[in-house]
Amino acid sequence: MTGRAVTGRAVTAQAVTAQPGVPPFVRLKLRLLANGLRGRPARIALFVAGVVVSGIFAIIGYAIFAIPGVAHRPGAAAILLPLGGAAIVLGWLFLPLVFFGVDESLDPARFALLPLRRRTLIRGLFAAAIAGLPALATLAATAGMVQTAAQLGGFPAALGELVGVLAGLLLCVALSRAVTSAFATGLRSRRSRDLAAIALAMFAAAIGPLQLAVLAGAQRADWGAVGTVAEVVGWTPVGAPYGIGLEIAAGRWWAAPLKLLIALAAIGGLLRWWSATLENAMIGTVASDRRGAVTDRDPVELLLLPRMPRSRFGALVSREVRYWWRETRRRASLITFTMAGLFLPISLTVSSGSPGAMVIFVGALAALGLANQFGFDSSAYAANITAGVPGRAEIGSRAAAHAIYTLPLLVAVSIVVGALSGHPARIPSTFGLLIAAYGVGLGFVLPASVRAAYAFPASSNPFAMSSGGGLTKGLLAFGVLLGAIVVSLPLQIVALLLGSVWLWIGLPVGVAYGTAAFLIGSGIAADLLDRRAPELLAAVTPNR
Amino acid sequence: MTAPAQRQGEQTAAMSLRGLVKHFDTKLAVSQVSLDVPAGSFYGLLGPNGAGKTTTLSMAVGLLRPDAGQAFLLGYDVWADPAAAKARLGVLPDGVRLFDRLTGPELLAYHGLLRGMDQPTVDQRARELLEVLELGAGNRTLVVDYSAGMKKKIGLACALLHAPRLLVLDEPFEAVDPVSAALIRDILQRYVAGGGTVVFSSHVMEVVERLCDHVAILSDGVLRLNGPLDQVRGDRSLEEVFVQVVGGRVVTGSELAWL
Repeated sequence: MTGRAVTGRAVTAQAVTAQPGVPPFVRLKLRLLANGLRGRPARIALFVAGVVVSGIFAIIGYAIFAIPGVAHRPGAAAILLPLGGAAIVLGWLFLPLVFFGVDESLDPARFALLPLRRRTLIRGLFAAAIAGLPALATLAATAGMVQTAAQLGGFPAALGELVGVLAGLLLCVALSRAVTSAFATGLRSRRSRDLAAIALAMFAAAIGPLQLAVLAGAQRADWGAVGTVAEVVGWTPVGAPYGIGLEIAAGRWWAAPLKLLIALAAIGGLLRWWSATLENAMIGTVASDRRGAVTDRDPVELLLLPRMPRSRFGALVSREVRYWWRETRRRASLITFTMAGLFLPISLTVSSGSPGAMVIFVGALAALGLANQFGFDSSAYAANITAGVPGRAEIGSRAAAHAIYTLPLLVAVSIVVGALSGHPARIPSTFGLLIAAYGVGLGFVLPASVRAAYAFPASSNPFAMSSGGGLTKGLLAFGVLLGAIVVSLPLQIVALLLGSVWLWIGLPVGVAYGTAAFLIGSGIAADLLDRRAPELLAAVTPNR
Repeated sequence: MTAPAQRQGEQTAAMSLRGLVKHFDTKLAVSQVSLDVPAGSFYGLLGPNGAGKTTTLSMAVGLLRPDAGQAFLLGYDVWADPAAAKARLGVLPDGVRLFDRLTGPELLAYHGLLRGMDQPTVDQRARELLEVLELGAGNRTLVVDYSAGMKKKIGLACALLHAPRLLVLDEPFEAVDPVSAALIRDILQRYVAGGGTVVFSSHVMEVVERLCDHVAILSDGVLRLNGPLDQVRGDRSLEEVFVQVVGGRVVTGSELAWL
């Protein structure tokens, strides 16, 4: 008995001493990236595009952050560095949730059976997450802050700022990982899914007032007020690391270690949080609580929504509607759109008063939910090909099911915008503009969803993307948004020219414009689908 | 073999493949596969893992476009006239290809309506299939939470719902417990006795030997042997023929000594 215990302990001790360091994880990630690119020209082109975009971002960022130093304006630096840094941190938080997803080429669940201690695993996954284009671009952009600090305070300040910038990068990565992982866990267990949505909403609501204060101050050219905000942000975890060099330059030596401490504490806390939710992701999904429930209704009644036609179209729409709620990826996309759709216009309406451009943005954003609609289905889409569903029915039913969720939201957005801006008369025309942008967005998204579909990794994290997948998604989203805004622009100009007449004709004109764009796009998509259904199936099937 | 008098229109082969070829990147997955499945036969497609069975069947039913070659189902060209070919075809695809966030009854209703059947027929057949396959007509568990055997059975029910003349099944007995396997076997045998044709892939010799009247052996994307079962195996067991044709190796005493 005792002998056994002793050997057991000996084995454990041996396993612990043999824990790998960080390099194997990073090498594994880079190897996966390289293998994903090998022999696939389209992926290589995308990767190169991603490098170019990241490079542009890095250069612009560096230039902006270096200006206060080159121009020798310590006051501007004290505002720009903490606020700019905070903006980057928040970008790392929100962009993965709304647009890019997280690169989960190293799926934590794959490591569940290996004898790794959790600390080792977290360290490795964290290092692998840093080894990527976004982190590299962020580091290059924020390096501009080091130059500013060097110009203002010489070598000690530059050294302090360098430490701060590095800490800021760690903070960005830790924040994005911890939040997506926690949100994913929340969505997975059906009991607490609403909790995750509420938590995110509260967080967004907390950011709102801050943003408003900055915008209001900037508009009135009230730099004193902005400076105060910057001062406050500089002492929060999101701004603290970026102010370290400035504190040294200003001679406040005591503040530098304090700010570093704030940043490090935040990173430590986030990593602990991530580690806790990771455990959950590795154990697997929570079983559904529907087991055992029995019904004696007819199968067709169970499938179809009330008032749906008893036909192929009815079946397609009903299945889609159920999928938008039952599948975590789709639910995550719906919830994040709801958040973005409601909070973006609210914060902008309150601050500036002209929500026009934002309305178009929100309408196009709604359409983006369908950008990889066939990817959601994965290989299950084979059933529709085998049944010989025509492209027109397939595309039309999917758009209809999405509209069932989206249209009430767009109504809510227009009411909120109208009410907050103090012009309730604007509600119908705002809704018209939203519908127009949604229709134009669909006109771009539907053909793209057939032509540029990609497979999601078989991960339980609804935000997970395979290597390069996030890039495809991001570029696609950017193209669709840009296209939708450009095509909707004439309507916006007409609205401005017509003035009060627009309030009356905005709704019918917007609906007509959006419907026309939708019909054109869905026609193209349906023809594409009729010709390319097997290719589409191959594109959305993982690991082929 | 005393074949029953065949009805008009079933004189043509149930499935004919002509020179099917498929490359994945640079790898040749299926190379010049041609075979005829006689109507009313129980046809087994045998091969080791990675032999190209799934690829071949996917091309045959219109899910994967071949680089070259043709596929005819009940006389209709799958790639030229897909609607006519698919209307008479039932498919059980490999692994996960089901809309598994629906419950069993919902999934069957979906397939029925997709095939253009009317509501009373869908309801009646779906209930009957769920009862016979012991899945429960009132069961509200999502298919994603089903066991592997239950998933195979609901997939088979979806393929049978519109009473097709040809059934193409990819690994119908993989990961299925003996009780469910026996049930699936009985249903398929009744279906063939009723004039239907079954084509299925497998690498389990016992099942193929027990069920099939025709077999084909595929390895490395090449069709090695095909024809009536008795002709293919001669006086040996099917397993011996298979291992010899595929070129498998036997472990000698000196290897793996550390085991």
